[in-house]
Amino acid sequence: MAETNKEEVASAFVNHYYHLFDNDRSSLSSIYNPTSLLSFEGQKIYGVENISNKLKQLPFDQCHHLISTVDSQPSSMAGGCGGILVFVSGSLQLHGEDHPLRFSQMFHLIPGLQGSFFVQNEMFRLNYG
Amino acid sequence: MDPDAVAKAFVEHYYSTFDANRPGLVSLYQEGSMLTFEGQKIQGSQNIVAKLTSLPFQQCKHNITTVDCQPSGPAGGMLVFVSGNLQLAGEQHALKFSQMFHLISNQGTYYVFNDIFRLNYA
Repeated sequence: MAETNKEEVASAFVNHYYHLFDNDRSSLSSIYNPTSLLSFEGQKIYGVENISNKLKQLPFDQCHHLISTVDSQPSSMAGGCGGILVFVSGSLQLHGEDHPLRFSQMFHLIPGLQGSFFVQNEMFRLNYG
Repeated sequence: MDPDAVAKAFVEHYYSTFDANRPGLVSLYQEGSMLTFEGQKIQGSQNIVAKLTSLPFQQCKHNITTVDCQPSGPAGGMLVFVSGNLQLAGEQHALKFSQMFHLISNQGTYYVFNDIFRLNYA
């Protein structure tokens, strides 16, 4: 896949992920699989079911992610697995809270079937002031 | 060796080299390595170290707040996600940053294949 196509994939993924997160969090299960790994504020969670449960149980109903930066790079050399690393920073506004929370997040996307990508690795950290 | 311990050792080595001997970082990258520094894309160890050694400050100190790591796949790579702050000599306030590394194993040691750095502005 050409370099610019990977950037487009990263950009499309980021839009899709945060749209799902903010509007239909339970649908996020579609982007993980049984080998996916999430580190959420230092807690390691393994596999689509556990990850979905963790995200569903987060102590807020409504939220909105505002993305400040998106960087991406191929995770292997040409001819490798075709993975894409995506590095995001932004802020997370929780409903009813005065101030948004700043966060950084990284994803490692691996090609799946029919041109789709799934999240093999994900790490999330709040950035405290 | 425990992956978390490997990640922690790498992070300590990377930032202590950055802070004390920035040209020494050349041994941590290879020809195919990629750095995205505040949105600027740089490839190859020579170009990457040229960028890092030309940053507009002489002395700096990285203070690391969090380190997370995960295996990147069956090839044995490791993803490392760091947050912390960067104190520049003479500056009153430290700059907050986040950085991610993708480490690839090569004959018993790790080198940085992917490196993405962003300052976290308030």
